[in-house]
Amino acid sequence: MHRMIFLWCLTLTALCLQAQYPGYKPVADLAQFKEQFAGASRRINAIKSDFIQEKNLGMLSEKIVSKGRFWFKKDNLVRMEYNQPFQYLVIINNSNVLVKDGQKVNKISAKSNKLFQQINRMMVDCVQGTALSNPDFKVAVFESAQGWLIELVPVAKGIKDYFRNINIILARKDYSINRLEMYEQSGDNTVISFINKELNAVIADALFTIK
Amino acid sequence: MLLLQMRCLLLSSAFFLLLSCSSVYRKMEKTPADAACVLKFRPRFSKVLYNTQVDVVGKHLSGLLLMKAMPDSSTRLVFSNEMGFKYFDIEFNRGGGFKVYYILPQMDKKAVLTTLRKDFEILLMQHLEPGKAFVRKKDGLFYYGFPQTKGNNYYITDTACSQLVRLERASKRKVVVTAVMLHYSDGTPDTIGISHQNFNFTIGLKKLKQ
Repeated sequence: MHRMIFLWCLTLTALCLQAQYPGYKPVADLAQFKEQFAGASRRINAIKSDFIQEKNLGMLSEKIVSKGRFWFKKDNLVRMEYNQPFQYLVIINNSNVLVKDGQKVNKISAKSNKLFQQINRMMVDCVQGTALSNPDFKVAVFESAQGWLIELVPVAKGIKDYFRNINIILARKDYSINRLEMYEQSGDNTVISFINKELNAVIADALFTIK
Repeated sequence: MLLLQMRCLLLSSAFFLLLSCSSVYRKMEKTPADAACVLKFRPRFSKVLYNTQVDVVGKHLSGLLLMKAMPDSSTRLVFSNEMGFKYFDIEFNRGGGFKVYYILPQMDKKAVLTTLRKDFEILLMQHLEPGKAFVRKKDGLFYYGFPQTKGNNYYITDTACSQLVRLERASKRKVVVTAVMLHYSDGTPDTIGISHQNFNFTIGLKKLKQ
C-alpha cells in the first residue's frame, strides 16, 4: 500500500514538473549534465550576438520590446548595447559596471551594492556556464528535444525579493545560451532572446573598457 | 543710539521677510476667461512610452515609462529601467484616487510617493474643476489656477489659450514645481520636463516610437 502511494506521488510530481515547462522533463542524470555543460562552457570563450528583449507587464497586458547587440568574453566581460527603440549601453568588466544612457555615463562598482553584485554575477553566470554553482540560487535542470532549461530559484536575500525564478534556456547542440527569462515576484517578466549567435568570435578587449 | 540702530535693523528685516513671503500670484491681475479651455491640453492616449531620465539629489536614474489608459478609465504608469527592472507601478483612478501596485523598497517612502503622485497629477491634469478655477494675467500670459488640497496647480498659456507655455504647482505663496509639456502629437506631448524648485529633482521624458 505504502509503495502504491509512493509511486502515485512520484508520478504526480513528475507530471507537475512537466506541466511547469511544457515539452521539458527533469534531467535524469544531473551529474552527467553538469559535466557535459562544464565541458561545453570551457570550449566557449566568447559570444557575439543580437538580442531581443521583451518586458511583459502581466496585469497591463503590455509588452515593451527592445533590441540590440551583445558581446561576451571570458572571464566576466559583458557588453550589451541597446539600439532600439532607445540607446543604452551596459558594460560589465569583472566587478565594475558602466552604464551609458543618452549622454550620461555612470560607473558603478558592483562591490558597493549587494543586489547589483548578485545581478552582475547572474548575468555572467548565465553566459559563462557557471550558474549551476552559484550559491544564491536553488537549481533544477530540465531537458527537451531542442535544449536544456536551467531553473534558478533565488535563495539569497535581495535578489529573492525581486525575482521568483530565472530560467536559462540552452541550445542542445552546443549548450550556448538561447534565452534568459527573468520572472518577477510581481508577475511581470523579462525575456532576452539571443539570436544570430557567433561562438568564439574574435572580440577586442577594448569593447569592455571602462574608463 | 545702538538700540535705535538695532530696532531699525529688526524692523527692516521683518519688512523684507514679509515681502519675500508675499505670494507671487497675488500681484497678478485677475482676468475673465474660460478656465475650461486648458482641458484641451490634457494628454489623451491608449498607451504611450517615454524614455525617462530622473536626477534627484545627485543620483541619476533612467528607464522607460509606460502610461496606459485602462478599461476602467484609470491610468497606469509603470517605470522600469532599460534592462527591465521595475522601479514603480502606480495607478491614478477616475475618482482622483491613487494606488501603488509596486514600488522598489528603496523608494517606498511617504515623501517619494507624495511627490510622484502630485507631479503626475499635474501632468495628467487630474483634479481640475473649471467651476472652482480662477484666471490671472501677467506678462502677456494667462495663469489658469485650479485649487488643490494644498495650494494650486497653474496651467499657463498665451492669451488666446492656444499654446501651453508651462505648468506650475504652487503653495499659497511660491512656485514648488515647474513643468513643460511640448510638441503634442497623437494627443500626447513629445517632451515633458518637471523641475522642483525646493530641491534638486528633475524628470525628463521623451516620447518613444515603438
